[in-house]
This record gives sequence, C-alpha cells and structure tokens, in this order.
Amino acid sequence: MKKFCLALAGLVAMSGHGMAASATNLDSEPRTLIVTEGGDKSEIAIGAGETVQFCPSGCFVTMPNGDREALNGSETVEISGGVGKIK
Amino acid sequence: MPTHTMRRLAILLIGICALFWAAAASAQNVGNFGAGLIGEQQSELDRLTVKIDELARKVADSAEDDARLVALRAELETVSQAVLKSGLAFRPRLAEINARLEQLGPAPGEGQPAEPDIVAGERQNLVSEKAEINVLLGVAENLSVRIKRLVDDIAAMRRDLFARLLTKRYTIDYALVGEVLTAFADEMGDFYYTVSSWLRFVFQFKLKSVTAAAFFALAAAAILVIGGRRVLGGLFVSDPAAAQPSYLSRLSVAFWSTLLPSAALAVFLAATYFFFDYFSVLRGDIGAMLRSLFYVVAVVYFVHRLGRAVLAPPQLEWRLIPVGPSAGHLLVVLVSATAFFTGVDHFLTKVFEVLGSPLSLTVGESLVSTFLTGALIILIGLVKPFVDAKGTARPWHPAFRFLLFGLGGATVVAGLLGYIGLARFMSQQIVITGAILATMYIGFQSASAIAAEGAFGGTALGRRYGRWFKVDETTLDQLGLVVSVATNFIVILIGLPLILLQWGFQPGDITAWLYRLATEITIGSFSFSLTGILSGVFVFVLLYFLTRWFQGWLDGSVMARGRVDAGVRNSIRTGVGYAGVVLAGLLGISAAGIDLSNLALVAGALSLGIGFGLQNVVSNFVSGLILLAERPFKVGDWIVAGAVSGTVKKISVRATEIETFQRQTVILPNSELINAAVGNWTHRNRLGRVEIPVGVAYGTDPRRVHAILLDIARSHPSVLKNPEPFVHFSGFGDSSLNFEVRIFLSDILGSLAVQNDIRFAIVEAFERERIVIPFPQREVLLRRETEPPAGDMSAPPVPVAPQTEPTARRRRKRPDPV
Repeated sequence: MKKFCLALAGLVAMSGHGMAASATNLDSEPRTLIVTEGGDKSEIAIGAGETVQFCPSGCFVTMPNGDREALNGSETVEISGGVGKIK
Repeated sequence: MPTHTMRRLAILLIGICALFWAAAASAQNVGNFGAGLIGEQQSELDRLTVKIDELARKVADSAEDDARLVALRAELETVSQAVLKSGLAFRPRLAEINARLEQLGPAPGEGQPAEPDIVAGERQNLVSEKAEINVLLGVAENLSVRIKRLVDDIAAMRRDLFARLLTKRYTIDYALVGEVLTAFADEMGDFYYTVSSWLRFVFQFKLKSVTAAAFFALAAAAILVIGGRRVLGGLFVSDPAAAQPSYLSRLSVAFWSTLLPSAALAVFLAATYFFFDYFSVLRGDIGAMLRSLFYVVAVVYFVHRLGRAVLAPPQLEWRLIPVGPSAGHLLVVLVSATAFFTGVDHFLTKVFEVLGSPLSLTVGESLVSTFLTGALIILIGLVKPFVDAKGTARPWHPAFRFLLFGLGGATVVAGLLGYIGLARFMSQQIVITGAILATMYIGFQSASAIAAEGAFGGTALGRRYGRWFKVDETTLDQLGLVVSVATNFIVILIGLPLILLQWGFQPGDITAWLYRLATEITIGSFSFSLTGILSGVFVFVLLYFLTRWFQGWLDGSVMARGRVDAGVRNSIRTGVGYAGVVLAGLLGISAAGIDLSNLALVAGALSLGIGFGLQNVVSNFVSGLILLAERPFKVGDWIVAGAVSGTVKKISVRATEIETFQRQTVILPNSELINAAVGNWTHRNRLGRVEIPVGVAYGTDPRRVHAILLDIARSHPSVLKNPEPFVHFSGFGDSSLNFEVRIFLSDILGSLAVQNDIRFAIVEAFERERIVIPFPQREVLLRRETEPPAGDMSAPPVPVAPQTEPTARRRRKRPDPV
C-alpha cells in the first residue's frame, strides 16, 4: 500500500515536474531583465539577492547591461554588476 | 651579475612576446570562427524570415480553411523553435567573448597610460562582434514576436471562421430539392466511376498487395483479440451462472467487451490503411475517402458496442444501467442509428469535398442527416427506459429528458432554418461528446464502486495484489480508496482534453494551459506552482517514510543487537523521529519553492504572539525533550507524580501517558513532570523495601516475638539476604507491643504476594506459639431509663456514650501498590 502510494506520488511529481530558467541577482540593487517569451515581451524586476523562475520553454533575454541571450529554458542566470552570466 | 639580470630580462621579454603572439593568434582563430558563425546564422535567420513571410501570406490566403490554418500554425511553431535554436547557437561564442573581454579588462580611462595597440584592437574587435551578435539576436527576437502575432491572428481567424460556420444561413426551398436531386445523381455517378476505376486498378495491378495488406491487418487484429482474451480471460466473459453480479464485475465485463473488439477493429482499419498506403494502393482522392470511411466505421462500431454493453448485453443481469429489456434494445438501436447517420453525413461530406461537388449537395445532404439525427435524439428522449416495482414504464429523469428534447429540437430547427453548419456541429457533438461523456460517467461510477468497502479486495486485481504483497483486508480497502481517487483523476485527465479537442481546441492550447496551471498560479503578488507543491509534498512523504524506516532499523537492528537499555532506545528513537520529521518538513517546504527566509520573517513577527499564546505548549514540548535527554523515568517505570501513581506508557511531545494500577490512563503534561518532584520506584533497579507492622499483647516475650518474625522473614525465598531483613521493635502502643518486619525485595512490583505470604506465616506462627494479637475493644454500657426515686436527686446520671479503647496499632501510611 505504502509502496504503491509512494510510486504513484513519485510518478505524479516526476511527470509534472517542469523545467524553467532561473535568474539570481547577486547585486545589492534591483535589476531588470527584458524577457521575450513566446513572442510576449515583459520586464522582470529582480530584487537584490532574489531568485526568480521564468521562461519555461525558451525565450530571449536582454540583460541589464544590454547584452542579449537566447535561453532554452533550463539555464541558471547569475547577475552580478549588471552582467548576466549563464551557468 | 648584470649579465645575469640582462639574461633574465631577455627571457621575460621573449616570454611576453610569445604570450601576446599566442593570444593574438587565438583571437584571430576565434575571430575567424566567430565571423563564420555570424554569417551562418545571418543566412539562417534570413531563410527563416523568408519562410515567415511566406507563411504570413499563406495565412492571409487561407482565411476560409480551418484545417489549413491549423497546419500553418503547427508550421509556425516549428519555425519559432528554429528561431530560438538559431539564437541559442550564439551562446558559446558569446561566453567566449565575454570571458575574453573580462580578461582584457576595461579600456584605460583619461589620464591613465595607454595600453598596447594589439590589446585595444582585440577589444575593439570583440566589442564589435558582440554588437553584431546582439543585433542578430534582436532580429531573432523580433521574428519570435512576429510569429507569435501570426499565431494569434490564426487563432482569431479560426474563431471567426467557426462563428461564421455556425451562423451562416443557407436558403432552403423547393429549388434546392431539385438541385440536390440532380446533383446527387451526378455525383453518385462520379463516385461510382471513381471507385470502380480504382477497384479495377487494384484488381489488375495490385491484387497481391491488397491481399497481403488485408492479411497483415487481419493478423494484427487477430493477435489483439486472441491475446486479449487469453490475458484477460474471465474479465471478459459474463458468467451466465452469476445471478447477481456485482457492479464492478459487470463494469469490467462491459469495459473489456467494449474496448477489446473496438480496439481490434480500429487496429484492423488502421493497419489496412497503413498497408494500402505503404503498397501505394491508394490514390489521393480514394485515400481521403477511405480514411473518412474507416473513421466513421470505427466510431459507429464503438458507440454500438458501448450501447450494447451498458444497456442490453446478452445476459440481462449484466446491464450497467437497469433499463427494461425491450427499452434497452430499442435504445441501442436508436443510439447506433444516431451515430450511423452522423457518420454517414461525415463520410458523404468528405466524398463531396473530394469530388468537388456543388455546395447545394452538401447542404441538402447535411439537412437530411441532421434532421434524422435530431429526430433520433428526440425519440431517445421519448423512450421510457425504466421499469418500477409495479411493472409500469417510467421515463428518463425530467432534466435529462428535456436536455435531449432541447438538443434534438435545436438540431432539427437549426437545420430547417438553414443553419446547416450549426446543425452539423451540434449533431456531431451530440454523438461524439455524448459517447465520451457516457464513458466518463461509467468511469466515475466505477471509481465510486471501487471505493465501496471491500470492493477492491473482491476484484481480480485486488486479489492478485493481495496475494503478491500479502496485505490484509484493511490495507486493500485503503488501496481501493487510492485507486478510486486515481481513477477519477485519470477519467478527467483523459476525458476533458478529448472533449476540448472535439470542440475545436488545439492540443497545443491544452498543453500550454496545463503547463501554466502546473507551473505558475498567481494570487496578487504571491505566486506558487502546483508542481512545486506536489514535489514538496512528495519530498516530505518520502523523507517521512525514510525516517520511519531508519528509526525502525536503528531500533530493531542496531540498538537491539547492541543491548542498549530500553529507555535509551526509546529516547533515541523518539529523538530521531522528531529530527526526521522536522528535516522532512523543512526540505519539503523548500522543495515546494517557498522561501524559508520569508518564513523566518513571519516567524520573527509572530514569535511574541507565540510566546504568549503557546507558552504552555512550548514549555511542555521543551520539557518533553528534557525528559527524553535526562531520562528521569522511562517507559515501563512505576512513578509517583503528585497524586498520580502508575506505570509510564508513553512519553510524547506534549504529555506523558501514565497508566494507574486501576488501569486508568492519566495524561500528564510534561512540564509538571519537570517542575515537580517525581518519585520513581524503578529508576535504577527494581529493588525495594516493604514494611509489615504487627502488634502483640502486653505480657508476651518481645525477644521471642522478634526471633519468630525474623525467622519468618528470612525463610521466605523472595526476601533478599542482602540487605538482610530486619525486625524493628517500633514502640509501646496503647494496647500492644508494636513490631515492624522490614524486608527487601528484588522486584518491588511483586511485593503484594510476598506481603501476603509473610502475613499468613505470622498469623500461623503466633497461633502456634499462643501469642495474642490484641485488637481494639469497645465496651458498651447500657442503662435502663427508670424514674429516679423522689427526693433522691443526688445520684449522678450515668453516661451513655460508648467507651472506646484506643487503636492498638498505628498504621503506616504508604502508597498501596494495588
């Protein structure tokens, strides 16, 4: 019974577990990313030290210093000094 | 020395030069590579732009064609992926450029010494290359925006198209009838010609291929049917001997006897089509018609089988819905006919489309078929399917009946008024959505049937599971509940998208919704994800069971083998349990994506309130931890706390459970056990002293008594020799010489039996030795009330009050163990 429930729960969690890119702001001031996801442009403000999840299925990002990058939705972006680095 | 220095300097210089040269060379290489990449992606993006332009033109052109719009949308989605891929291709190069720029450092400012030209040049090159890449990425980004806009346009166009389809009105008059009849005759001639020419072609050139295709398709279907019957066995066939089959067995028979033949037919048709296609037996027009025909045949057959299984199976007892026998057959006929006419409409429309027939023909044909479908739906509503106790027929539930009347009537009226598109849509939805809804209803019914007590254990699956894992009835019942919930979920998960697909939603839309729902739900500024919460719960459950397992392993395997004291074992077990649950909770919360630092803020704000409000609870909790660590008593100890005396049964977070000797369970808050004195009879050992007081009459030889008592105490087997028993001459009572036998027992819990033995022995020994045990005597003087002699007033009245001798023995107060 327990095994079965566990297996079921595992299956649900695994099947539903989505991937998304995450961005962490290591600076002491809030930074803004411009994200074009599925053709919709939006600005994401990230407070100091915050981490946000965005872009589940590919997007274009403009970093705070004006650099552009394309993401496929599984990256981790670290922003320090306004420069976004993709890990 | 100077030569030495010079040599060193020269080496250094050469080294620096070599380094610069290497760096420049690598930059050159990388630069070349970068230029290649940019050119490549530039042309790729140009190609994609051209493609999008072309697609945009096509979208504008095919505003009237729904199927084509759907195909264009799918194409746009692949282009969108390609655009993203092209953008992603710059990633490694960008990383290189950024890393190199970081190495070079910022350009020197005003007043700082100028850097070598080669460095400035390289920086310049890198920056300009990066700018180029940024521009290209911008192009890609704009392309993705454009694609999105086109996809939105397609959605709007399809909505319009659908609305127009539903609201478009065709004129229906006598002229149409004539037109339809002539066109129908013409088209049937065409149809006959097309099919017969194809058949001739097949017979003359492709007979072997067709035979092979038919053989393979039949073989595939046969494997499914025979294999299915072998595997499912008893699930499939209704047992004629069963007088009152349970709902679940009826359901499983209905389910499998619908699914297996339908699946076999579907496999046969699909395989036939596939092999025909594979052997190039099909021509374009015949292929489209055959596909439509196969689709219709499969759907009609499925509806028919489903209707029969639910309403009128071969054995009457195996119906799923208790309708009357004749009504059941009638309903099956009506339902199958409805599906048939809708299917015919679908097929003929396809045929007319392929043959390029005039629109009036399609309109006329659809009018007839939708009229028939609507009329059949109304007829179904008119059937009185149920039979009550007296044998009279009862109609459907009014709501359902009027729903059927409404749907059927609306279809007929819409058709007659000329809204053929609407009527066709309705009749198709009634058949297909109705079939899906009916199947879903049966699914829900089965879910609730499985949840019934003992139902799951009775199913073949439950029996098999019980045999494999050796689980008991209760577990199987709980499992049944889980299966029931899962069944409900699965039914919704499969049925709802199917219905949505029928209503013109695209699979892409549905997955996108599901994804949104699963990944992000926003309430105000707070957003959470369903999958996050699910995975949090999953992590918690997993760690919880892991903790339980670890606890069991530590207790049962390690500590039991290590002969660890029971109290320590219990403490460690409980401590590990708490730690595990706390850890599981924290990890679960962080896995759910809830930031723990936010939680800390909230906790800080609430701590004052918690300090006041939960003071007692927290104090008890901490006391519980102290009890576990300090272990003043353990489970199984005999303790005395205030007025409560009994055996400790369980030490838990807030309170300790004590069972008194009267078998009353007392729940004592832990803080009371910490703050007040607690007596423990069995703390280090079970050794304890018992006193038995006894008194003998004055005049007895006290030394003799002492010797007898000591002898009795020593001769009892349970009395310890060390510390040895002691007889205490405790005092001179009012009417007796008082003695006290003090004995030590190895197990204080068995003191009552020993006390009894000793007391019996004392009484017997005293009787033998004629020693008297005095007891308080009460002397009552009775005086008859008589008239006093006259004048004799001097005689004093005699008191009536009884005279009592004081108690001979003083009783010790001691908690009585029982």
